[in-house]
Amino acid sequence: MAELSQFQADFAAALRERARTPAMRRWLAGDADVVDRRLAIYRANMVAAADKALASACPVTRQVVGDEFFHGLAREYQRGTPSTSGDLTDFGATFGDFLAAFEHTRSLPYLPDLARLEWAVHRASGAADAPDWDAATLAAVEPERQAAIRLRWTPGLAVVGSRFPIVRIWTIHQPAHEGEFSVDWDAAETALVARDGFAVRVTACSPADAAFIDASLAGGALGDALAGTLHDHPAFDLGALLARAFAARLLCGFTS
Amino acid sequence: MTDTVPTLSGVGIGLRQPHYREVFERLPELAFVEVHSENFFLEGGASLHALERARAAYPVSLHGVGLSIGSADALAGEHLAKLKRLVDRIEPALVSEHLCWGGIGGVHFNDLLPLPYTREALALLAERIDHVQSTLGRRLLVENLSAYVECRDSEMTETAFLAELARRTGCGLLLDVNNLYVNAINFGFDPAARLAELDADSVGQMHLAGHTVVDDCLIDTHGSLVCDPVWSLYAQACRRFGARPTLIEWDTDLPALDVLLSQAAQAGAVARGEAGHG
Repeated sequence: MAELSQFQADFAAALRERARTPAMRRWLAGDADVVDRRLAIYRANMVAAADKALASACPVTRQVVGDEFFHGLAREYQRGTPSTSGDLTDFGATFGDFLAAFEHTRSLPYLPDLARLEWAVHRASGAADAPDWDAATLAAVEPERQAAIRLRWTPGLAVVGSRFPIVRIWTIHQPAHEGEFSVDWDAAETALVARDGFAVRVTACSPADAAFIDASLAGGALGDALAGTLHDHPAFDLGALLARAFAARLLCGFTS
Repeated sequence: MTDTVPTLSGVGIGLRQPHYREVFERLPELAFVEVHSENFFLEGGASLHALERARAAYPVSLHGVGLSIGSADALAGEHLAKLKRLVDRIEPALVSEHLCWGGIGGVHFNDLLPLPYTREALALLAERIDHVQSTLGRRLLVENLSAYVECRDSEMTETAFLAELARRTGCGLLLDVNNLYVNAINFGFDPAARLAELDADSVGQMHLAGHTVVDDCLIDTHGSLVCDPVWSLYAQACRRFGARPTLIEWDTDLPALDVLLSQAAQAGAVARGEAGHG
């Protein structure tokens, strides 16, 4: 595949770097100026695809910065972190990290966490549907075996911590939001992202709840997750969290 | 891989999210609906549920835009596995991919990039299509591309390349009439002559769409009405190959559903008029 592989490598280089266009001309029919203009169409398509994928995953981030600036962000993000999959649903996992390091969005310090929250929402929206589960089976576990069980949270569930009021910011940008738009900018919020049927809900949770859920999502046994959480958050109330989790159908089983 | 006779007949539309509600409420008469496979490479959730709802009402055509079968990189096994999972779940009437590559060296452009139509590329594509068809356990339709550049080293036309692929692998062809027209204008050839290079038995589906004119180039934007020369080329294709399941494909600046339905009705009338049945 010597020829094909070189053709594609040169094509790719010309798309990623305009200065590499001359090396591509030898492969293509037509005058240099026509070839250059035609390659520019593909280059624009490449950025448009990145823009569309990121906009679909992070619509609030886009609303905050505006369509034009977002397009520029997509181009810059793609330059450093090109797509590696034919499925654009996968594109943008590190967009929040990119924003955290990007100097032109420093005036919006909450933006990276907002994008991370949106990525979690994006992932949750396509996560597996939760199986039916009877929460009473958990209550039936004998006390001496409780510490060893591992909770199964509903697919796509995630927590996103922040020094900023990201839950409030996300909420007031939702198309269905009603009511006022005030934001307490001093509030640090941890977001809990979870599927509820086909909807994805974003709610605030306490850092203690988030610590327990994180430890548990990482595969920790209930006893270990509880001990670790209590170490940092002595007031953590596991019973209250589990009651809320049952009510909101955040759990879908456990292994013992 | 032997079902050369299309199991579908008639005209379908691309089903896009802004039309879901109206389509499910009205259930317009359509031969099938088509979606982009990759948009449903999900484990669950609202989108997949909507596709299953559509599948309960219509035959579904899965149209892939990201498998990159013509890349000199190894075929993306995970991508193919996701396609297989979706095919098993939806049981589509048609499954199609493009004659293109989309990425190289591990970087993906998420675009449909043209190939040199060489014997070297033909050997690679034939092997890939064999693999995809045996993995999916069914016939794949391969679509001709719209392109803005063409490779100097091509040893045959795109249509001759596709015809040979179909002979070697038993794959079907998805003739995108708009793409053929776009290329005819962009590269200056007679599109009707290219139809003559294809075997009627291999043509399993046709696509109709609109394009945009920018300077000296037609761009395949799928964002406008099918233009008159494309209708006329479609009529010639129907005359030559017989009526085939045909899609009205519209992706950008999505209009009201009725616009798509009226384009679909027009396609049905052309096919009936030219091929005697629709």
